[in-house]
Amino acid sequence: MGRLKQKGKAGAAKAYVTRSSAVKKLQCSLADFRRLCILKGIFPREPKHKKRANKGSTAPTSFYYAKDIAYLAHEPVLNKLREHKAFAKKISRALGRGEWSTAKNLEENKPIYRLDHIVKERYPSFIDAVRDIDDALCMIFLFASLPSNPRVSPALIENCARLAAEWQLYVMHTRSLRKVFLSIKGVYYQAEVMDQIVTWLVPYQFPQNIPSDVDVRVMLTFLELYQTLLGFVFFKLYTDAGLVYPPPLDSDKDESGAGVGAFNLRPANPNTTTGGQKSDASKVSSKEVRQTIRKITAESSSAPPADIDFNQTDSFAEGAEEEFVPQASKSDFDVTSSLPTLLSLSSLPKSSSTNILAPYTFWLSRESSRSIFEFLVRSFGGRIGWPVSSGGGSPFTEDDESITHVIIDRPVAKAPEETIQERERRRRRKYVQPQWVVDCINAGKILLEDLYAQGRTLPPHLSPFGERDGAYDPTVGLADVGNTLVDDAEVSEDSQEGDVEMGSELEESATSMTALEVAAVDDPEALRAAELAAEAAGVDYGAFEKEVQKKQKQQKQQKQNQETVADGEGEDDMNKMLMSKRKRQLYERMKYGERKRATEHAKLEEKRINIEKDRRRKARTT
Amino acid sequence: MMAVPGLGKPLKKRKQEELEDVEKRAFAEVVDLEMQSEEEEEDEERGSDILSDDGEVDDFPEIDAASDSDEESEEEEDDTDDLDEEDTLEEDSDADSDLHIFPKSKVVVSDITGQKKTVYPEIEPDYDSDSSTEEDPSRTGNIPMHWYDDLPHIGYDINGKRVLRPAKGDELDKFLATVDDPTSWTTAFDKNTQMDKPLSAEELDIIRRLQAGENPDAEYDPYEPTIEWFTGKGKEEVMPISSAPEPKRRWLPSKWEKQKIMKIVRAIRQGRIVGSKPTAADKKHQFYAIWNEPPSNQPPPLPAPKPKLPTNSESYNPPEEYLPTEEERKQWENTEPEDRERDYLPQKYSALRLVPAFDKFIKQRFNRQLDLYLAPRIQRIKLNVDPNSLLPKLPSPGSLRPFPNYKSLKFTHTKARVRCLSISPDGAWVASGDESGVISLWEVNVGREVKRWTLGSKVGAIEWCPRLDVCFFVAGTEEKLHFLMPPNLSPAVLTMTQSTLAPATLPPATQSSIKWISSSGAVEEGPILVIELPGASGLPRQLTWHRKGDYLASVSSSETQGGVWMHQISRRHSQAPFTKIKGAVQMVLFHPTKPHFFVATQRYVRLYNLAEQKLLKTLMPGIQWISSMDIHPSGDHVIVGGYDRKLCWFDLELSEKPYKVLRYHTRAIRSLHFHPTYPLFASSSDDGSIQIFHARVYSDLMTDPLIVPLKILRGHDVKDGLGVLQVKWVNKQPWLVSAGADGNALVWCS
Repeated sequence: MGRLKQKGKAGAAKAYVTRSSAVKKLQCSLADFRRLCILKGIFPREPKHKKRANKGSTAPTSFYYAKDIAYLAHEPVLNKLREHKAFAKKISRALGRGEWSTAKNLEENKPIYRLDHIVKERYPSFIDAVRDIDDALCMIFLFASLPSNPRVSPALIENCARLAAEWQLYVMHTRSLRKVFLSIKGVYYQAEVMDQIVTWLVPYQFPQNIPSDVDVRVMLTFLELYQTLLGFVFFKLYTDAGLVYPPPLDSDKDESGAGVGAFNLRPANPNTTTGGQKSDASKVSSKEVRQTIRKITAESSSAPPADIDFNQTDSFAEGAEEEFVPQASKSDFDVTSSLPTLLSLSSLPKSSSTNILAPYTFWLSRESSRSIFEFLVRSFGGRIGWPVSSGGGSPFTEDDESITHVIIDRPVAKAPEETIQERERRRRRKYVQPQWVVDCINAGKILLEDLYAQGRTLPPHLSPFGERDGAYDPTVGLADVGNTLVDDAEVSEDSQEGDVEMGSELEESATSMTALEVAAVDDPEALRAAELAAEAAGVDYGAFEKEVQKKQKQQKQQKQNQETVADGEGEDDMNKMLMSKRKRQLYERMKYGERKRATEHAKLEEKRINIEKDRRRKARTT
Repeated sequence: MMAVPGLGKPLKKRKQEELEDVEKRAFAEVVDLEMQSEEEEEDEERGSDILSDDGEVDDFPEIDAASDSDEESEEEEDDTDDLDEEDTLEEDSDADSDLHIFPKSKVVVSDITGQKKTVYPEIEPDYDSDSSTEEDPSRTGNIPMHWYDDLPHIGYDINGKRVLRPAKGDELDKFLATVDDPTSWTTAFDKNTQMDKPLSAEELDIIRRLQAGENPDAEYDPYEPTIEWFTGKGKEEVMPISSAPEPKRRWLPSKWEKQKIMKIVRAIRQGRIVGSKPTAADKKHQFYAIWNEPPSNQPPPLPAPKPKLPTNSESYNPPEEYLPTEEERKQWENTEPEDRERDYLPQKYSALRLVPAFDKFIKQRFNRQLDLYLAPRIQRIKLNVDPNSLLPKLPSPGSLRPFPNYKSLKFTHTKARVRCLSISPDGAWVASGDESGVISLWEVNVGREVKRWTLGSKVGAIEWCPRLDVCFFVAGTEEKLHFLMPPNLSPAVLTMTQSTLAPATLPPATQSSIKWISSSGAVEEGPILVIELPGASGLPRQLTWHRKGDYLASVSSSETQGGVWMHQISRRHSQAPFTKIKGAVQMVLFHPTKPHFFVATQRYVRLYNLAEQKLLKTLMPGIQWISSMDIHPSGDHVIVGGYDRKLCWFDLELSEKPYKVLRYHTRAIRSLHFHPTYPLFASSSDDGSIQIFHARVYSDLMTDPLIVPLKILRGHDVKDGLGVLQVKWVNKQPWLVSAGADGNALVWCS
């Protein structure tokens, strides 16, 4: 006889713990538990059988894996949190007693926890980390734009702003920005870093206040982790790109509001890193040196170093790679197929769209946001200048001759007086609205400026991320829509003409029309009767024909619809009876989704047709 | 009444007063103290002249701090009781100071020290010095004045004469006084004289000072320079206070302190105490190449799902069709934020500079974080299949013809709902019985009624005898089974039927409680034979024939003894097969080929072998209440329907559990029937629909029966929650006859 099984000793009852029991087990406060969960990335689980997991109770609780909690129990941060609790007690005691020096001493030896090991645990490889920095970037950019308050210290905001600038610098430097979307929430950017797609959202630059229903402590805990994570990620990215991290900050420029420009990217000196090797490698041949250097650079330069202030690849270009040459078999010509080699891949036009703005020089007028457009233009190779009112550090002034485009976002105003020079300058430059830059970037080519000229109504700005399959696509021309439009237009025209012609005979024609409607168009006899009636009513034959055709078309459509409905739906309904309950529910859910999407699509299309109609009518009347 | 509360209000007047005050003080200082008191008397005289009728000069207007208004003093008598005691104290202290509450002080230079000093005037201890009671006409002393409230006088003067209460105007006069008299706001009610007395300038000043929280004494200077007595040049104390010798500790360094310090010094030398680290290095987070060492073999934790990428509708300048209409906007605003499909409303701005900040940005970020750490995550495999591929592959109903798909004719019972019907074995006649006791015999093809019997009570069941050589049917009414013959039978059949039901020589009577009564008379009019079931057995719910047409089983609706009776026509004998049965019997059925007998109780279907008289099998359909049952003509498959809308298909070879459970009627199933020859079965329900299924059973044991839903027939109306009560197939034709609660019997043809 086997051992008796006791209840609650195995299975779900053992694998899950409720939150309150987890807190009890960890002997920490709920706030500390929440902090730990955020830092360690531990989230509640949904057991299959709640009742079994909760020892027979069905009360709503959140469950955690017991193993997760055991894992938390060994966390060094938890110890630090406990130490902090003790510290808080000590310092409040010292302050209460007025022992200032003790308090100061305590404050100096305040327990501080590091999150390095957590970053390493949560992201064992660098790629994992890069894949997961979306949320971190969003938060950093959000906090970089927040005003400071007692909860959010200025130091924190400064650090966030620094991290944001570092990220932008890196993206600009490696030209890895791919897509931009100006939405009502903010600006979405998408970059491709280490073959990972990173999307982040930056709010428009307005002072925002943290609403009262938002728990700042949660956000700050997340921010703590994100700052550490981004620090390590940027360190790796910068060093891989052969740059010094952190990039030195030019405080003078920062004072003048240069923003991103206040940091200067400095190439890491390879001599310092390989200095130890060099000293004892005095005897080795120059070839070996070159090889080692190449090895180092191969390690460190995965991104194309293309920035102006940074070109180091020249010296290594000499070592020509040996090319794979396909040796064609003499007997069998079809077998060999040339594989893409590393060299051929790299020599491919490597998404030339990353340089599309390179030939142009932009001037940013003061009403458009510098933080957005400086980043955009510079990450696509263009040069950009801005007036002093948007911050210092502009590389050129407004009267620079090289300016080709002016990004301007205000209505056209009559310029009071222009000198000849100014007029000449105005003629030479192109004045575009900001959306032009973004649309060019998303299209991967330079679009015509005329559509986006100053003061013009802009074409719609579409999401570069695309919609899901089969969704309504506003770019598709009104092909199928067009027909109906034409038909409708004709009908309306006809009716208008008819009105003009008939005048007093309006009533009669109406009766004939109703007769026509009553008559079944399929039936030839009825058709003839209708024809006679129409003739008697004085409707001319052409109009009658048209009417009949239209009717026929409509009826055909209706019939088709009915048939599909009758056949398909009826049969499906009958077949559904024989499905298992699970499958039927799945089927019904899918069908529901399909139907919803279809109605959405249809609604949008209908709206569009209506808009188009209105437009045409307006055009006709004017 | 208005004096004290009115004090704070008119500031302008206050200023004036102050000015006067200053002048007076200056004057007083110049002349003399007495002078001032005189002047004040004059002042008061003026005031009293204006106010009081009797013209008596009041020397000291008493300020009663407790009674702000006379109303209060009148109404709240208890309060004044307590407060009066305090008043006495005040009065005592006030009595010392002459006219003014605080005697005027004088600053003089001291002869001794040469410093300035404040000198207060001497108080002369003569009779006049106590001025508090002097001028008061009433000599009652300090008693609560409300004792005199009901009396015409307010006390007694020094001569023992009554002091009469001064005339007091009514409220209107009081009010007019406040308006007319400019000094009214500087008067206070004097309790002892029971009239308003004007306040002097000094008193007003004191009130002002008290209100401002200052020292009430106007002369008091809080910032006067301190007098240094012992510090400064030449004022040092030269002589020691004590003659004790100076202790050693004044000049010897402490031994214990030295020990303590040495302890720390030693600790520092030995490195046990380390100076605080430089804080700057701590704060700067030092980053390093954390990912340089190879990662552990553990798989990384699953990354959190990324939020959805924005679509066109989120653009600041979307195509116009994405903009919500007024209706959609309202709907969006009215839904709860959690239920909204998207967390924003599409909007269109003509230029980028017009785009405002998104007000819910932080909230949405926060929600995302809540999702990250509070939401349970489930890995879900997203099915990327066409939903139509989930539908079972069934032959199309078109290829499974014939089956009934339209209503060909309707036969109406006018009086009541048609409860039951039966079709003759040759498929020509239908006998339908309704609840009013009418049985109609009509033709399937044309629906013409041939004959009508009226049995008087509700007809519960009708069943046609399956024999082809005879022609009659049995109808069950309350506790009776009627054997009825249709008219116009061919002579051969007629004689055969008569000989079967009413033979010339009756078989020997058996012992049974049930009587078989042959009606001798006009056979054409009524039943040829009546079986009287035992009393209180109720309405026969069901009748069923054995295939050979000799045995007839009836199920009565009463619960006693199971209500199952087996009637043998040839022996004219009835018997109850079960002495005791568990549960209420719903239906019984004969097996089409074997001597087996199905009994459906409320939950289970039991299969008995009649020859061996034992239970073979119990089928468990899992239905709460079985309503109907039928057996496939092959005898291997049974369908069972229940009031809980389920239909179970049993393969008798396979298991006691259903092979398939179908639940597609929206209301209770009422009746089921297998077609005797075609692979069809029909089910009817209280939702008013009849469903036709194709049910092919293969002789090969390995192949599962094929069940294909074919058609839903709708034609009956639901009445009182009842729909189609019975369906029967026509022999040899794919036609169906149905009896409905709406009083119609319908024929459905292919």
